[in-house]
Amino acid sequence: MQIRQNKKDDVLILELEGRLDVNTSNTFSDRVLSLIGAGEKYFVIDLSQVVYISSSGLRAFLTLAKKLSENGKIVLSSLRQEVKEIFDISGFGSLFPIVASQEEALRIFQS
Amino acid sequence: MEKTISVDLKNHLSEMERLRQIVEEFSQKHQLDESTTFALDLVLEEVVTNVIKYGYQDQERQDRIHVDLSLMNGELTIVIRDEGRPFDPTAHPEPDLELPLATRPIGGLGIHLVRNFMDSVEYKRQGNENVLTLKKRVTIQGQ
Repeated sequence: MQIRQNKKDDVLILELEGRLDVNTSNTFSDRVLSLIGAGEKYFVIDLSQVVYISSSGLRAFLTLAKKLSENGKIVLSSLRQEVKEIFDISGFGSLFPIVASQEEALRIFQS
Repeated sequence: MEKTISVDLKNHLSEMERLRQIVEEFSQKHQLDESTTFALDLVLEEVVTNVIKYGYQDQERQDRIHVDLSLMNGELTIVIRDEGRPFDPTAHPEPDLELPLATRPIGGLGIHLVRNFMDSVEYKRQGNENVLTLKKRVTIQGQ
C-alpha cells in the first residue's frame, strides 16, 4: 500500500495504490489519523490505483469517518468498479460522497 | 474432472500473502475470470482472518488452518477447517446497513461480504474442528 500525498488549498489529497486488506489497511488509517491529529480536516482519497478492498479496508474508512464527522469531510474519488461494489454491498456508498474524479472531488470543497 | 488444491496455513496474518498467491495460481490454472478471482480472494481473507483473530486463543501455537479449493462441473467449493474454539461465523446477525455513521458498528462486515459473494455458506462443528463450506457457480473464461 503506497500513499502519495498532496495538498491543494485546505484539502489534503491522498492517492492510494495497491490493496486495502487486513495487513495494509493500518498503513492507510495510521496516516490519516496522524494527519487529523495534525489538524487536517478536509480529505480527498483517490482510489484509482486501489485494486482490492476487504472489510479491513472498509473498517479503516469507517474509523476515519467517525473520527472526523463533525469538523471535517472526506470525499472518495475514482473507485474502480469492483471496489465500488464492495462499498455498495456494505452500505458504505452512502457514508461518504463518492465521485468519479479528483477534480470533481475538489470542486465539492470549493462550493 | 475435479481439480483440487489444498493448503495448510499457520494461524498468523503473515500467511495471507501466501494464500493470495495460491488463489492467484488456482485462478490462472482454471481460467477463472477477474471478478471470480476477486471474490475468492476476498472471502478467503475474510474467513481466514476471522479464524486467526478469534478462533485460536493461544497465538503462540502454530495451529493449522486447512483450506481446500476445488472446481467441479462449474462449481467452486471452498472448505476451511480449523481446530480453534467453536466459532460459527454464520451465526453473526446481519449488520444494519441503514444505521447512521455515528452508530454504525464496525463488526459483522466480513461475513456479510462472504454471504454476498457466495451462493451458499454452511458451518458445522465436526469433532474438534470448525468446518466452513462455501460454494459458488463460476464462469470459466472462454466458455
